[in-house]
Amino acid sequence: MVRIGEIAASADPSDVLVALGLGSCMGVAVIDRGRHVAGLAHVMLPEAPRGGEDTVRCADRAIPALLGRVLELGGRRSQLEIAMVGGAQMFAARGGVGVGARNDVATRAALKRERLAPAAAVTGGDKGRTVRVEVGGEVCYREAGGTLVRLLPKGGRA
Amino acid sequence: VSTPYTELQLDTLREVANIGSGTASTALSQLLGRPVDISVPQARAVPLATAIESVGEPDLLVTGVAIPVVGDLPSLMLAVFRDDDSRRLCEMLGVEADSEVGHSALAEAGNILGTHYLGSLHTLTGLALEPAPPQVVQDMLGAIVASVLLEDATDGDLTLFIDSELTVEGEACSLSFLFVPGATGAIDLLAALGMA
Repeated sequence: MVRIGEIAASADPSDVLVALGLGSCMGVAVIDRGRHVAGLAHVMLPEAPRGGEDTVRCADRAIPALLGRVLELGGRRSQLEIAMVGGAQMFAARGGVGVGARNDVATRAALKRERLAPAAAVTGGDKGRTVRVEVGGEVCYREAGGTLVRLLPKGGRA
Repeated sequence: VSTPYTELQLDTLREVANIGSGTASTALSQLLGRPVDISVPQARAVPLATAIESVGEPDLLVTGVAIPVVGDLPSLMLAVFRDDDSRRLCEMLGVEADSEVGHSALAEAGNILGTHYLGSLHTLTGLALEPAPPQVVQDMLGAIVASVLLEDATDGDLTLFIDSELTVEGEACSLSFLFVPGATGAIDLLAALGMA
């Protein structure tokens, strides 16, 4: 279980990493399927305030930290596949761009700084979601009231 | 993490919540024609992640009625009905659950609670507080609460939330009711009470 604002990574193919009830939050899964190494971040907000405490709750710091953990466990940068799930806007915005959309933009920007891009992304909309990473090689998500759908490897239902 | 609020201030907010939810429960009981009990409200100032987690199982499917509050104290109220509770409440109101009219009934129940809660806050503080139209969503609990609390948040913020629980007497039906003043809202509320 990857709780809000936390990161987890594993190199045990029997492990499953899950982030439950993502609304405006962003679940970012990173997996090297060949090596059975994966990580998952449950990103809460786009950017950490300057001079704030050391945290991985925000996209700008969570993405480098997540990659660091996955590479440390033997993941190969060139083989990494990334899936993004979340960033919904569940209630009508009270003016301006909602935090879900800002999390989406900030996550993609942080990935781009690492010269990476998501292979699969289910973001935006108005539904809460759960993301599930099987370190053995599969990333799935489920929308509120829906069924499990496979994101990686691409193609077909779980 | 140290709280920016003193125990006395939190006690005051709890008492305000007690009066607010008392008024709200009376209104709900008139709507339903049965007595409604309230728990002792909690007022807590905690980090955002802790606040979101403390509400319950993140992927539990619930109905949330969010009522934005405009006026002197921009804030948000959120009524959360678990699945069985929303069904029971719709039955008591004589409408079909999981239908459009069921949703409006829950929105209306949330609206009545919110309006009365705000009315008593206004009486206590003199602040002008007006509820905007409620929004009803059926979704995962964690997703709803996080979306509400994070909308205007900055990391490192402590969130102040005031949580009441209402239970319809003799029925397995209860709901929780959150009042979340914005970052400056809590200070303004305390100032209006002479407790800043």
